[in-house]
Amino acid sequence: MRIVIAEDNALLAQGLTALLEALGNEVLATTEDAESFVTAAVTHRPDVAVVDVRLPPSFTDEGIRAALRAREQVHGLPILVLSQYVEDTYARELLADGTGVGYLLKDRVARVDDFLDALHRVAAGGTALDPDVVRQLLATRGNPLSRLTEREREVLAMMAQGYGNSEIADRLVVTERAVHKHVGNIFVKLDLPPEDSGDRRVLAVLTHLGAPQRQSRRPGPEAD
Amino acid sequence: MNNISMTRASAARSARAAGYCATVFVRGLALVVLVPVLMYSAVLCLVGVGLLILPHELRLLRRLADGERDRLGRWAAASTPPAGPHVRRRLMAVLSDPATGRDLRWAAAMTVAGTALGLIGAALFLFPVAVVVLVGLWWLFPADDPIRLILNVPIDSWGSAVYAGVPQFLLSVLLALFGPPLLARLAASVSRWLLAPSAAAVLAERVSTLDRTRTGAIDAHGNELRRIERDLHDGTQARLVSLAMQLGLAERTLSADPAAVGPLLTRAREGAEEAMAELRDVLRSVYPPILADRGLAGAVSAVVARCPVPATVELGELGQPGGPGGLGDVPAQIEVAVYFAITEALTNVAKHAHAGSVSVTLARAGGTLRAEITDDGRGGAAEGGGTGLRGMRQRIEAVDGVLRVQSPAGGPTVITVECPCGS
Repeated sequence: MRIVIAEDNALLAQGLTALLEALGNEVLATTEDAESFVTAAVTHRPDVAVVDVRLPPSFTDEGIRAALRAREQVHGLPILVLSQYVEDTYARELLADGTGVGYLLKDRVARVDDFLDALHRVAAGGTALDPDVVRQLLATRGNPLSRLTEREREVLAMMAQGYGNSEIADRLVVTERAVHKHVGNIFVKLDLPPEDSGDRRVLAVLTHLGAPQRQSRRPGPEAD
Repeated sequence: MNNISMTRASAARSARAAGYCATVFVRGLALVVLVPVLMYSAVLCLVGVGLLILPHELRLLRRLADGERDRLGRWAAASTPPAGPHVRRRLMAVLSDPATGRDLRWAAAMTVAGTALGLIGAALFLFPVAVVVLVGLWWLFPADDPIRLILNVPIDSWGSAVYAGVPQFLLSVLLALFGPPLLARLAASVSRWLLAPSAAAVLAERVSTLDRTRTGAIDAHGNELRRIERDLHDGTQARLVSLAMQLGLAERTLSADPAAVGPLLTRAREGAEEAMAELRDVLRSVYPPILADRGLAGAVSAVVARCPVPATVELGELGQPGGPGGLGDVPAQIEVAVYFAITEALTNVAKHAHAGSVSVTLARAGGTLRAEITDDGRGGAAEGGGTGLRGMRQRIEAVDGVLRVQSPAGGPTVITVECPCGS
């Protein structure tokens, strides 16, 4: 994959570059602030961009804003945002911008396989949310979830992270048919339109849980 | 018509003044008894007994003086806030209260001045009644010593009762209308002069209050530093040490038994993740990252959005625009205190209040940052009930703020936080 990185901490930027290049990717540019990141994204049009939330000059949420700005200029540019901590507000903002977005804790990079998996999903236009973000989002409007069984809640959390049925089956060590049944039950119990592609399902779940969505990206009116 | 209403107004004013004079008189009488007792007890201190009874007498004196302070505030609109009862009963503690000295000099002056001014003021109000009665009863006095009132004119017939009585009655009415207010003002200004702390004393008390809250803030800050040090030392640092050891072990094992390195590395990575999670928790407790990113307004909005109970937020004027979230220059420690108070309050609402909705308002008025959290739950929130209210209060008071909790059984609960934040 061709990747652009925005990370102001030199150590982390080098580490990320080394990691990604060792795994056969091409790092097109490493930028240190929001402005040069947007420029690099427009120039290189990478397969996916990896962006730190905090960037100079203000070291607040420049990264989120830069990501949204870059997506305005390069339509649908897949972006994976990395952060030192999880904040569902940021996840809501990114998800409101549609699919091809991810939001992960920096810790997750250490689990190289999971990190790469998320990066690929985002690059393919899917969604990758940190389990902690998902936990926050699911905890927010807890009431409808009380109707779900323990297993169904597990499946829902993985759906919200962006996994498809087969991946969920692998991770929970059950058959895909079982997962399919759980998903069906969740959709019925939460009154969601049944959808199959991974990111559509994420959006459906999150719409239900109160994440703001753009009207045009709101999934499944045809299914109602 | 106008004259009548004016007369009525001055009559009412005179009545209020006479009422005040009456209380001054009664206090004066009480002091006539109390002051000699105080002096006697002071002498008895030489033989020890006084040491025991004097504090009680001074408490009684404080109650009389505070009654007067309160009355002054209501009657003369002069602000002399009551000094409050003595907290401790030891004689030295009571005597070292600067208000005690003021109580004593007031007591000494009021035995004479208060009794006299109060009696005359109250009596003048009743003077017209006395004049009417006495003039009407002229015939009870012996003919060779007829009654003479204000003017030295003898009243010895119904004729003289009219021509001498009516002007004297009018004169007494004038005295009744204007005398009591004058005397009451006099008595009030004497009391105020003796009871009110001097500007220097007010300043000294303010300094000692600030001193106390500052000491509290420094203590709180010190405890916070120690907690952070302990968290980092016992948690994160220890994990990093064990991580380094696992990596060292893996290094050694690599040549001898490469297959055993895998599990070691996995454990090392897990240790690193745990260290990161702990570090994140410590950082969050020091200064929540969302505050740094979005300012107080943004951070509170995020907390409200996350609240499991349907919640609304209303952000008023918060400060100079320009800073993140428009909260320009609220000091960081106040942002943190208010943020944690709101977070804690919302957690309480979700856990205990059984509320259907909750609203948060956050606004700045001049030099005060004010937050209010209102829920429609069952109320009855009590400090010490394990709902974290005490922790909230400590945090808020450490930054010189005020926390108020109104939570009658049956609800609603209103928690108000006010913090000074510069201007």
